[in-house]
Amino acid sequence: MERNIQKDFKEKLTQAVGEGFSLRWETDSKGVVTGWCRLNDHSQITNVALIVSRSGGRVITITAYKTKDAQQRDIHEIAYHFDLDGCTCTVTIEIPRDSSKVNSITPILKGADWTERELQELYDIKVVGHPNPKRLFLDETIDTGIMNKLIPLSLAMNGATSKTLWEKVFAATSKEVDTK
Amino acid sequence: MSTYTIPVGPLHVALEEPMYFRVQVEGETVVGLDITAGFVHRGMESLALQRNIYQNITLTERLCSLCSNNHPFTYCMALEKIAGIKVPERGEYLRVIADEVKRIASNLFNAGILAHIIGFDSLFMHVMEIREIVQDTKETIYGNRMDLAANTIGGVKYNLSNEKIKYMMKQMDSLKKPLEEIVDIYMNNKLVRARTEGVGILPKEEAIRYGVVGPVARGSGVNNDVRVKSPYAAYDKIKVNVNVETGCDVRARAIVRLREIQEAINIIQLCLKELPDGPTCIDHLPEIPAGEAIAKSEAPRGELIYYLRTNGSDLPERLKWRVPTYMNWEALNVMMPGNKVSDIPLIISSIDPCISCTER
Repeated sequence: MERNIQKDFKEKLTQAVGEGFSLRWETDSKGVVTGWCRLNDHSQITNVALIVSRSGGRVITITAYKTKDAQQRDIHEIAYHFDLDGCTCTVTIEIPRDSSKVNSITPILKGADWTERELQELYDIKVVGHPNPKRLFLDETIDTGIMNKLIPLSLAMNGATSKTLWEKVFAATSKEVDTK
Repeated sequence: MSTYTIPVGPLHVALEEPMYFRVQVEGETVVGLDITAGFVHRGMESLALQRNIYQNITLTERLCSLCSNNHPFTYCMALEKIAGIKVPERGEYLRVIADEVKRIASNLFNAGILAHIIGFDSLFMHVMEIREIVQDTKETIYGNRMDLAANTIGGVKYNLSNEKIKYMMKQMDSLKKPLEEIVDIYMNNKLVRARTEGVGILPKEEAIRYGVVGPVARGSGVNNDVRVKSPYAAYDKIKVNVNVETGCDVRARAIVRLREIQEAINIIQLCLKELPDGPTCIDHLPEIPAGEAIAKSEAPRGELIYYLRTNGSDLPERLKWRVPTYMNWEALNVMMPGNKVSDIPLIISSIDPCISCTER
């Protein structure tokens, strides 16, 4: 059964994107098969989503991350983790440095809705064609793409373990009293 | 009839954690829903990148309380895949035991909350009293009532002596009869049925479309139990009887959770009987090479996935996890419309939401 799923997926992928992908399957000691696929052209991800949808699969989640390209420059990659009847297939695309845009797969696979909104706010990658592209978790006061920045832990904690936080609170409170 | 929007949350008596719902109603009937999240977003995926791979075992266990064991468990499995570590067989069985103990406690908590929401507080207290048997077991075996700290890279950090095995067997036995009684109440009591039957319907085709997981999926006839679909730890040697209901309503989801408690007791007792001898963990501190892996497990609320990328250093390049509740929120848009305002907290609770997990 699983072998058919893998064969099917490869055939349909070849029909859709030609030779523009690499794909390997791994089987662990429990017999669970995991697929690792990389697309040369990032815009083909919607075709992959269509294949998954038509095969009765679903999207488990999507991971965006920062990594280095061959020239050691910062780039974004996105890994889409699809489920094909218990077999997880991760399809990775590289986002071009000059665009920071990717096509939404939510219109095809509804399960991608929240995770696309999340990667948009965390990595500042525009998800084109998302039906509801508003912020998911982060407040509007927080910069888009916050995961692209290194924020030292001491700063992130906002002085919560020292007296700095209380100094800010007292300063704000005394201002309120003054204005009254 | 006029349409009104009523706010529910972010702080609400029936919600254990904050979430904000704007519910559109016509008279007493819900017609639409808008969810605003982010009240307990702690940036934990960013924190994980600033801690080394060992520290992250501790960090991931503190993500939430009810399914805390699944996080370090699944994270360790991802590390083990990258480093090619084989967990000793006894360690795998002990991992299953820890996981199923947490499943019982988590599902009982949700069953109790359901009783509380429908105003059946004596049942709520009865369920929580039964849950105390599990809490006592956790405290005796693991030294803690919530975070078990059972998992480490290459195995587990606890072992079971013959005396402890006997104790656990006895504790599991003592759960069976009271559990049968409460299952009967949830299934047959007129008051419970009147409040839960036909409420918060999620049809099978919508469950598939939204990609919901866990008891929410199984309550709508969709079986995507990771323990069966992609076995891990000792689940390839243990037969898991998955309970699938077709009611698609609040009642079906509650029955699935209760049946899973009964199945968890069977699994624990089977593991205790067949617990292999040998080490519980590998005997060295492993080095983690560069690589990427995914690991999945069936948490009390459903499929949990971890994706890990390493680069040979002791800090992960990326650690991403998606918790089961994350997939189940949007399905509320299907479950809510057509129901009464008084059923809103009940339907929300029927997805057994874990907000700390969702937002990280």
